[in-house]
Amino acid sequence: MDPNRAAASTASSGRPRDGVGHPPDFPAGLRVLVVDDDPTCLKILDRMLRKCLYDVTTCSRAAVALAMLRERKGAFDLVLSDVYMPDMDGFKLLEHIGLEMDLPVIMMSADDGRDVVMKGVTHGACDYLIKPVRMEALRNIWQHVVRKRRNELKELEHSGSAEENDKQKRALDDGDNASSASEVSWKNVKRRKDGKEEEEEIEEREDPSTLKKPRVVWSVDLHQQFVAAVNQLHVDKAVPKKILELMNVPGLTRENVASHLQKYRLYLRRLNVPQNQARLDTPYTGASEATFHSVGSFDGLDIQSLAVAGQFPPQSLMALNSEPRRITTTGIGLSSVDQIGFNPSAQMANASNIRPAMMQQMSNKQLNFLSGPSSSMESGLLGQSQQPVPSYGNMGLRVSDGASGFFSLPSSQRTSTSFSGGTINANMTNSLVMQMTRQGQQFSLSQQQNRIHINMPQQPQTRGQLPNAIAAEHDSRLSTTMGHQILSNEVSRHGSGRCGSNMNVCTSLPEGYMNASSYGAVSQALYADFSNSCMNESTGSSYPLATGAGATTFTSTGMLQDAFPPVGNVEALGNSTSLKGVDFVPDYDLLSEVHQSKSRDWKLQNINISYQLAQQLGSKQSNIDFGSSLLAHQDPIATIKDESSRNTCIVRKETFSVRTDIEREKGECIAQCNSTILVENSVRVKAEGMSDLSYQGGLFDGNIIQNELMDVVGKKQQEGIGQVDPEFNFDGYSLDDIQGAVQKR
Amino acid sequence: MEHSSLQRQVAYGKKSLVDQGYLDEQFYELEELEDEASPNFVEEVVTLFFCDSSRLVANIEQALEKCPQDFRRLGSLAHQLKDSTTSIGALRVKNECTRFREYCDEENLQGCQGSFQKVKREHAILKQKLEAYFQLLRQTGPAARATCSGD
Repeated sequence: MDPNRAAASTASSGRPRDGVGHPPDFPAGLRVLVVDDDPTCLKILDRMLRKCLYDVTTCSRAAVALAMLRERKGAFDLVLSDVYMPDMDGFKLLEHIGLEMDLPVIMMSADDGRDVVMKGVTHGACDYLIKPVRMEALRNIWQHVVRKRRNELKELEHSGSAEENDKQKRALDDGDNASSASEVSWKNVKRRKDGKEEEEEIEEREDPSTLKKPRVVWSVDLHQQFVAAVNQLHVDKAVPKKILELMNVPGLTRENVASHLQKYRLYLRRLNVPQNQARLDTPYTGASEATFHSVGSFDGLDIQSLAVAGQFPPQSLMALNSEPRRITTTGIGLSSVDQIGFNPSAQMANASNIRPAMMQQMSNKQLNFLSGPSSSMESGLLGQSQQPVPSYGNMGLRVSDGASGFFSLPSSQRTSTSFSGGTINANMTNSLVMQMTRQGQQFSLSQQQNRIHINMPQQPQTRGQLPNAIAAEHDSRLSTTMGHQILSNEVSRHGSGRCGSNMNVCTSLPEGYMNASSYGAVSQALYADFSNSCMNESTGSSYPLATGAGATTFTSTGMLQDAFPPVGNVEALGNSTSLKGVDFVPDYDLLSEVHQSKSRDWKLQNINISYQLAQQLGSKQSNIDFGSSLLAHQDPIATIKDESSRNTCIVRKETFSVRTDIEREKGECIAQCNSTILVENSVRVKAEGMSDLSYQGGLFDGNIIQNELMDVVGKKQQEGIGQVDPEFNFDGYSLDDIQGAVQKR
Repeated sequence: MEHSSLQRQVAYGKKSLVDQGYLDEQFYELEELEDEASPNFVEEVVTLFFCDSSRLVANIEQALEKCPQDFRRLGSLAHQLKDSTTSIGALRVKNECTRFREYCDEENLQGCQGSFQKVKREHAILKQKLEAYFQLLRQTGPAARATCSGD
């Protein structure tokens, strides 16, 4: 690479705002970490960077640098690293950073061989500078920070709410240093969990510490408004401009609406695809799909329903139904999610038809979830999850996708499961969930999220519920959502604090789990949170989610990377388990694709969720949920179906699939599905099943669903859940069912 | 006058170093980094460089004697040395390092040894020259340095 990248402007200060609201003197103050074993180089770089008015920290050992980055997350905006270092290969460091913190990394070396440069690129380096590094080259490195932020913003934007956007913009504007600007974006995105500790609402991205990104968070309410507007205009004819007018939300831009609408439509479409088409009468079917996905699914119960939707056999649904609350949550999660996200049942029109029915129940909560996820996603949950949170966002979204489908399903499709509220029923679940996930993410999550925090934290019992719900709903998607939710709940429960806001989604579950609403919220939260905050934060409570989050995080980290952005959030979950939520974000994209695989999305989400859930459930449900959630993805693995206990696990599978590679997901999902935590009483989250889910991201969803399922199941059994061993991250789920379900992916 | 004459000497000295290929334009870059905040930056860096590179040179020498078959290690050390030299613009030393590294890659012990001798020699020469240069620079004082760096 040419060190003298002339491209960028050299002026480090006085850079005009670029739309992401950088402070006027940006990039001055950009916090750079330089890692180079050669003291001469280090000194020179230090000097050069200081001359560019950056805030420099030098480090001669990669291990130390990594430790520094881990301890002080968010303390740096950019990393400059040498390639050849004695203690650790520069590329390895690059990978770690990318996975855990998702910071832009620039590689340097005197070696300009094509292969080395290529290696840098493939490992994810933002840039590669040839030594001797010139000042001009360093002057422009801030562009990577901006670019990354913008990308994150864009992703979140879909589900962001206008307010957030504003806030962020303003925040950015106010920010007086570039780093904060970038930080904001990142923080918001990724770090939702991190930064905000316990931010329950994903929407509250406005942590003072970080500038807010001008992201719009689609809270449940906002989403509902959106859906209402869309329905009013008729989904086919709805145009952003009109929707905007109808919504009449100050600060919301046409672009926000447009992107949200797109997601919604996708969501709806997704919902319609699987069996739900007919059922979903909700308007959702269409556009919002994507967004809703995430949200819905998590609704906790909805998720279940969702998950279940497809897969759950009527019984499960019934089970879910019986637990109306729960199911709704889980299933509703979907449905709710749908509802919420998509909008409350009818509104969502696009999203899933299902929604309406389900949504109702879930809708509130779940929708939130949907919205939540979206919002959360946006909030950075998706991406943010602490750092990785951003991934969460994706996840959330992704999940949403699945979830959306999920959600959507629940309502309409659900037909089968008519969970009490959300019978998200399996039908949808898959698609719905997926959709929901996607959409949910976008839509509902935001809404729900905020609340969804699923903070189930307090209620451990919710978990139990979840499982039930999950079981019912889980339906694969649900699982995801639920998983998410569950996760979130769990997470929230745990109060992982990290996610603070994010997990809200998840956490919702805890409370009573998701009784539909919570679930939804949870789901959302899960999603959103997951992405961002990894659900954790909100729950803090008992929910193992937090752990899950942590757990998920791992997954995220590992998994997330790709697919699970949401998982990343898991980190947020408090456990900070390395969920690099961050990853989610990227995954999100994947999820979209996954859409179809639905389970895929879910997978991610589920995985995350499940993961989290699993984690959190610590023993109980979470695991299950995850499984379920996972299941959600592909096939309503969540099939938590009937077994209530089963529910959970399956979810997991699905979500896991979500992991970026969705491909992987498949495999994973399957694996996970197996784990689907069959909530049967004890949600046995068998860790075994899930483990492989790479769903890392998706687990979450699964978890959530599971949770819900668990709830559902749990209710019935309640006790069983204990089994979920926290460590199982997903494996625990005894998702036997999930496996089957997962396979679909 | 003497001031300006000194300055001229400094300028000339630097130019000749560059012309003879001991230094390259990176050195100018370093000088540009100097300012009121760090007036002796270049000297500090160069001092640091020699300190570090001498250690590396000694390590290579030792490696060549003790375990000459460990080409990987040799190559790695050579790379490190090369990194340092490029950052200060020590052109000749860098070139020799590159060659040395190539021999290491080829696992050509003979070539390595021969090349290393050259590296060592160039390194010593550069050190000497730069020391003289800085001596002169110190005499001229900060003002002179300021003008000089505007090369």
